[in-house]
Amino acid sequence: MSAAVPAARPAAPKAGRARLWFLVHSWAALPLWIFMFFVCLTGTIATVSQEIVWLADPAVRARAPSADARLLGYDEVLAAVNRASPESVVQSISRPVKSQFALSVRVGNPDGTSQSIYVNPYTGEIQGTDPSFNFRGFVRALHGWLLMPFTNGFNLGWYAVSLLGLPMLVSLITGLVVYKKFWRGFLRPRLRFGHGARVFWGDFHRLAGIWSIPFILIIAITGLWFTVQAVLGDLSISISSEGAPPIVAREDAPYTPDGLPPRIVSLDEAAAHASEYLPGLQPMFVSLPGNAYDHIVVAGRGAYPLLFERLHVNPYNGKVEYVRRVADRSALELFTESMRPLHTGDFAGLWLKLVYFFFGLLLTMMVLSGLLIWTKRTAHATAAMLRRREEEPDGSVAELETEGAR
Amino acid sequence: MSTARSPSTRRAGVPAWKRWLFRVSAVFVVLPLFYLPAYFHSQELNRGTKGLGERELGEIAVGPWSVRFAEWRVEQPFRNGEAGYAKSFTLALCDTCAKQVKAAYLRVGKPRNLRAAGSIFFGSPYRQSVALPIPERVTADAELWITLEGWDGSVHQAALPLAEASPITIEWLSKRGNPT
Repeated sequence: MSAAVPAARPAAPKAGRARLWFLVHSWAALPLWIFMFFVCLTGTIATVSQEIVWLADPAVRARAPSADARLLGYDEVLAAVNRASPESVVQSISRPVKSQFALSVRVGNPDGTSQSIYVNPYTGEIQGTDPSFNFRGFVRALHGWLLMPFTNGFNLGWYAVSLLGLPMLVSLITGLVVYKKFWRGFLRPRLRFGHGARVFWGDFHRLAGIWSIPFILIIAITGLWFTVQAVLGDLSISISSEGAPPIVAREDAPYTPDGLPPRIVSLDEAAAHASEYLPGLQPMFVSLPGNAYDHIVVAGRGAYPLLFERLHVNPYNGKVEYVRRVADRSALELFTESMRPLHTGDFAGLWLKLVYFFFGLLLTMMVLSGLLIWTKRTAHATAAMLRRREEEPDGSVAELETEGAR
Repeated sequence: MSTARSPSTRRAGVPAWKRWLFRVSAVFVVLPLFYLPAYFHSQELNRGTKGLGERELGEIAVGPWSVRFAEWRVEQPFRNGEAGYAKSFTLALCDTCAKQVKAAYLRVGKPRNLRAAGSIFFGSPYRQSVALPIPERVTADAELWITLEGWDGSVHQAALPLAEASPITIEWLSKRGNPT
């Protein structure tokens, strides 16, 4: 930002304004830098937490026995799990968006515990179960709400983290305002080594900043949406166009003469009905009924990759009784429901996660480089400005204070 | 903290509120450490390795069958969106009846018939749960009614005092000024 603050220039109104924006920029996130750094860092790790687990635990990998191996159907997976632990009750099967990952099958065990079983999608081999420490869940909870419990609505951690979207947005906007003709940085990128740390970090801060404009905008806005979501939730305001969850009609769930559960439709049948109903749907998730009046739920991605399309299949007659397509959502829901996948980048596969990881690292480094620049430069600029205020007080400083408070 | 207090920054005229903002933000970074035990407790509870719930009430006979019943968390009812306040309970069906029970329901007060049996439990026979709505005008002597519906069409019920199922809910009701 040094280019925007020509210290030697006389105090013309334009320069004063630039200096003001610059000070707003340097104060927007600075007092919060340690928290901002923490949240950016944990968020960056969270984007690849599943991949870290993949590297650490061979059980979650999908090893294909041969190059032309066929993926098993849901019934074959169910049968494999039932063979391995006949007493456990399968609750859901999810197929990760990335083909490198094993299927995750959620089961309830006779001792009352529940766990995920990793199943090889080609062979049905039970490769392992989830460890009691869920790294992915832990990093998410640390990043998203500082591990605080949700006892009554959204917690303080959720609010504190999501509100950081505001200083992030202010930093981006003021950063672009004070960085004169920032688009030139795209054409002539400059990263000077060998001129000392101050010059290097200044160049880095500007360069990383302009190349991250879309990413920072996405993270800041989706982050702020999480604040709005919490406020709506805590005020019990619903923007959902979806009614009460559908249930299976009493008449359809038969009583049986032997007093034992009746046969229900197979999962492959249910998935086939779903694909018939919504051609092009790739079922990624199937859940079995949670009780006698619950549906088999099939969900997957259609043409719009950010959101799931969902179908509820009657387990007794195979009829599709409820559909929640992308097209059934209101414009507002399309917007708000797209916020979370946009924030996490988990909807397109490994390549997008790596893109998010890279820009996440840049953003984390921008907090640090901003701090480094400030310690070396802005402290002096602020001192100089305050000295002038003592000499000739005017209204602009009061304005600065209120701007800085944001 | 040391940065905010160092002589160089004080010379730069860092206002007090910014120094406080820095301290508060540093507290947020340390805060997760204090929530670690509660976080892991929650994880174990969800996994079921801590039993059915935080407060198990033991075996309750329901007709020829029985269930193990638990208060999920020893906490006041939580705000459940537009539906008002709710309180979560869990149950496990007895070994012999796991296959015979079609559905389990829970309600504050005696249900008039099966269709009004209350909220239905979700989950496996080994651990299923319900978020039971706690109506505004519940009194401290209210009873929870468990209804079990069999695949053979039989219906069995059992009642237990709310005061036994969740003393903390009774406290909460009296704090809210509900008649006792």
